[in-house]
Amino acid sequence: MGEAVRVDHISYVYPDGTVGLKEAALTIQEGEFLAFIGQNGSGKTTLSKNISGLLKPTTGDVWVFGRNTREAPMSELATLVGYIFQNPDHQLFNQTVYDEIAYGPRNLKLPEEEVEERVTEAMRIVGLDESYREEHPFFLSKGLRQRVAIASILAMRPKVIIVDEPTTGQDFKQSIDIMDFLTMLNREHGHTIIIITHDMPIVAKYAERTVAMADGRILLDGPTREVFAQAEALAQANIKPPQITRLAQRLGDLGIPPNVLSIEEMADLIESALKGRE
Amino acid sequence: MAEPIIRVEGLKWKYEGSRDWVLKGVDLEIHQGEFVGIVGPNDSGKTTLAMSLNGLVPNNYPGVMEGRVVVDGMDTREHSVAEIAESVGFVFPDPESQFLSMTVEEEVVFALENRGLPREEIEERMWWALELTNIPEDYLEKPPYELSGGEKQRVAIASVLAMRPKIIVLDEPTSMLDPIGKTEVIEVLTEMKRRYNATVIVIEHRLEDIAPLADKMVLVYRGTIPKVAPPREFFQDVDFLLEHDVFPPDVMVLANELRRRGLYDGPVPMTVDEAESIVRGILGRR
Repeated sequence: MGEAVRVDHISYVYPDGTVGLKEAALTIQEGEFLAFIGQNGSGKTTLSKNISGLLKPTTGDVWVFGRNTREAPMSELATLVGYIFQNPDHQLFNQTVYDEIAYGPRNLKLPEEEVEERVTEAMRIVGLDESYREEHPFFLSKGLRQRVAIASILAMRPKVIIVDEPTTGQDFKQSIDIMDFLTMLNREHGHTIIIITHDMPIVAKYAERTVAMADGRILLDGPTREVFAQAEALAQANIKPPQITRLAQRLGDLGIPPNVLSIEEMADLIESALKGRE
Repeated sequence: MAEPIIRVEGLKWKYEGSRDWVLKGVDLEIHQGEFVGIVGPNDSGKTTLAMSLNGLVPNNYPGVMEGRVVVDGMDTREHSVAEIAESVGFVFPDPESQFLSMTVEEEVVFALENRGLPREEIEERMWWALELTNIPEDYLEKPPYELSGGEKQRVAIASVLAMRPKIIVLDEPTSMLDPIGKTEVIEVLTEMKRRYNATVIVIEHRLEDIAPLADKMVLVYRGTIPKVAPPREFFQDVDFLLEHDVFPPDVMVLANELRRRGLYDGPVPMTVDEAESIVRGILGRR
């Protein structure tokens, strides 16, 4: 597995003068599952859009599979990095589910046969029944529209998939379904996954690596367990670790480490602490 | 006990064109001054139930209704939405969807002016609502669309509070907000609970924040209400909630897991503070 993304000390200034990113640097290996966390305005979306090539850095360079995002054409970048918007309605605009998913591959000037093959595959992976092919996306439920949005990105077969707020507005079970699906893409199909999220329990459960941002800078970058253990740095960025981690961080004097990520783990620690005393 | 301010009896509702009942015969009683948390998975009927409390269902939606809903003495089928709105204020998930005015001040006083209240009373109510929602004076001239998400939702709540309704229904007031905005709105709910003796009904997924505030929790699941109880009782059966697609806060699930392992046999904690005491109690044993 090689290097997928290299963000080489980039800054980004929006046309109105707002500084979105300051000296951001990170490298992502193929097959990683990351979360970008931070308050609104912290730079996580700006960083993601620079990685996908939707924005070009003001200074510094972004390399995606060895291609500089300033130089590679969008049609090529779209096959390397796909960006799934938070609100599926921001990216759906075709009259049928089929045309929506076929839009990207058709833009790549692929023969219609291969377009058909990719649409069928994408629909199968996201679990959209064939019977939806001729439906108008607008009349589907939000959950199904989200699947159409994901399928339309998958049909481009991008190696890196960035998902903006995958669980916002979803309930507990829907969130688990979406995240299990992204995990499947990561493990079975080898996609590198980046989620942008405020949902800390989801980060704890699914992301192997977490990048915490504040004021346009990368504040912390490491294994999720280590990032959540940095209670003070996170507090500065107004990020609250999951409730179970916060509980662990109050129990240091009892030998509970500050980096607990799951309920199961916490129960194990309490159980073994008890046994140790017997 | 006094007559409940809200009585839902055998309510069934089906939107025109839909095959199944969205609400399948639910009963619910809410008393004056109660703070009620409504939880449950999406598409289970929570919003329909909320809209039946201010009469939008059945008055503004085509559909079929059975049973009855009586709110502050009004049968919602016999009174208009405007009449019911005198008693019930409603806050939507998306604050922008309810803004009508060019400035925060106009937004907060809009409905009061429409009612023709005297200027003094309008002013007094406006300041009271702004104070309760923690909106500073220098925001009055700002256009609502320039505010952050949390500020917008606080303005939306202030404009409802200014009407001093006996009942306020909030439909997922934090679902569209970032964590700072969510915290701001939860703080407003906490202030409302502390200082405003209204009946507050909140649909909310953030159980960690609602559990310590609520007097009563209501579970809505697939068009039914399988459980109504005070939070301490409501959250005792963690497995029951998980089976109904509700994920209780981490510390409650932890207590449940410790019970399963035979390490604990007390009640589930409502807060991190309580969980800390429980763990200290377990590990403090010799």
